Amino acid sequence: MNQFLLQLLNGLVVGSSLALVASGLALLFGVLDIINFAQGEFFMLGAYILWIILGATHNYVLGLIAAGLVLAIGGGLLLLVITWPLLGKAQVLILLATLGVSLILQQLALNIFGGDAKIMEPPIAEGVDIGPITYPLYDLIIIAVGMGLLLAGFFWLRYAKYGVWVRAVAQNRSMAAVLGVPVPRVYLLAFMISSGLAGIAGGMLAPVTSVFPSIGGSIILNSLIVVVAGGLGNFRGAAWIAILFGEIQSVGSIWIPPVVVQLLLFGLVILLLVLRSRRKTALVRL
Amino acid sequence: MFEVRDLHAYYGKSHVVQGISLEVGDGEGVGLMGRNGVGKTTTLKSIAGLLTRTQGTVTLAGTVLSGMSPHTRARRGLGYVPEAQAVFPEMSVEENIRIGSLIQSRADQSRCLDLAYELFPILSERRRQMAGTLSGGQQKMLALARGLALRPKLLMVDEPSEGLMPVNVEVIAQALKKATQEGVSVLVVDASFDLVRTACNRMYAMDLGVLVGMYRPSDFSSPEMLAATYLGERSA
Repeated sequence: MNQFLLQLLNGLVVGSSLALVASGLALLFGVLDIINFAQGEFFMLGAYILWIILGATHNYVLGLIAAGLVLAIGGGLLLLVITWPLLGKAQVLILLATLGVSLILQQLALNIFGGDAKIMEPPIAEGVDIGPITYPLYDLIIIAVGMGLLLAGFFWLRYAKYGVWVRAVAQNRSMAAVLGVPVPRVYLLAFMISSGLAGIAGGMLAPVTSVFPSIGGSIILNSLIVVVAGGLGNFRGAAWIAILFGEIQSVGSIWIPPVVVQLLLFGLVILLLVLRSRRKTALVRL
Repeated sequence: MFEVRDLHAYYGKSHVVQGISLEVGDGEGVGLMGRNGVGKTTTLKSIAGLLTRTQGTVTLAGTVLSGMSPHTRARRGLGYVPEAQAVFPEMSVEENIRIGSLIQSRADQSRCLDLAYELFPILSERRRQMAGTLSGGQQKMLALARGLALRPKLLMVDEPSEGLMPVNVEVIAQALKKATQEGVSVLVVDASFDLVRTACNRMYAMDLGVLVGMYRPSDFSSPEMLAATYLGERSA
């Protein structure tokens, strides 16, 4: 029972962070029909930014805000400088371009920070008694912040002016444009939110895991699985599947070796895709 | 005053619109007719800014729109209701109407909803329903109601009567007429005798990418005469 509760909470920590990265990817796919392979490296850079700011100021909140902001601006620049000229051309060009950016960022991180893992202490060391177990308060905060951001994103998409416009562009780009929706600004906003979420997720998880240049590799792989399973371009679907993914991985490892759990998840995604391909309706969007 | 001068549009190597010039006065209803495939829809899309390969000058109320993005043209008062795929399928009827009015004040947003529901009360009954689950005719009503309710300076409407029951065609014709009486210029592509007679002061005939004639609704005494002209059998 204790082990089950512990892994259930661990699953939420992993799932809510993964959900931030994956829902950002889903948002981007919904609005621009592209997949940003550099999203994993944005996660990695978010973790390094937190490490730098924490080292310099010992201010964790500042580090997390900086991770989100710097990566949001970085994402905007990636759109304007590299992705924008390729929009409307073969999609594989954007895939290759963002893959190239991800390799460059990884190599840069290796050159600048070295290959060793940077370990940080969580800003809050206290634990909270939950039933029979004592669980780290910081991990609970990760869950709360992750869920809070996802909920805020959901309501923003539903009710805010730009949120409604993001959904409109995702569903019918040309119609949105002729109704006065500033499509290029919506693209930029989607890219910045997507990258910022990855940065925040990286920063949040940094004290729990450790930071090294290739940390984004597994995140982007899991995020892609989640985004495909949740329905490409489906923000809410990606968030739910990410949390489910974290739980299956975490709780499943009580009885089955983690590698086998991962294989089972791959199988589940393939099954979902096969079932989806038989449906005549389009995938659910945003 | 809305003016198009020497408009050309291309799809790849195909030169679809080959130098069209037309005018629509303030509060005037103008029709554009011709067989399928002569370039009517391409003309409207070019004016809306949705095609990349175009030449010519488009002016609305003294502002040159050529070279502007589609959303900037819309904000300058250019409205466009396409023939197909004019709604956001996974948004409610109310959200579909609101999207266009979000660039307006809150009072105007509310007025926009009221106008749309007044035009087609069925939309009010289905305000929470996803637009993609409406019938084809209802989706058309939704797009038209939104286009009309936004009260642009010029509203371009592509085949508004297609797929609608006669009673709804009459509603649309009257709505377009009312819009012109309130000062909205209307450029409409349609083959409905009743709609053209009600909503248009003038009509251009188009064939193979060029304008080939101009008529008045009184030139047609029967739907058959209009159809013959529409099909290019009586081009001037």
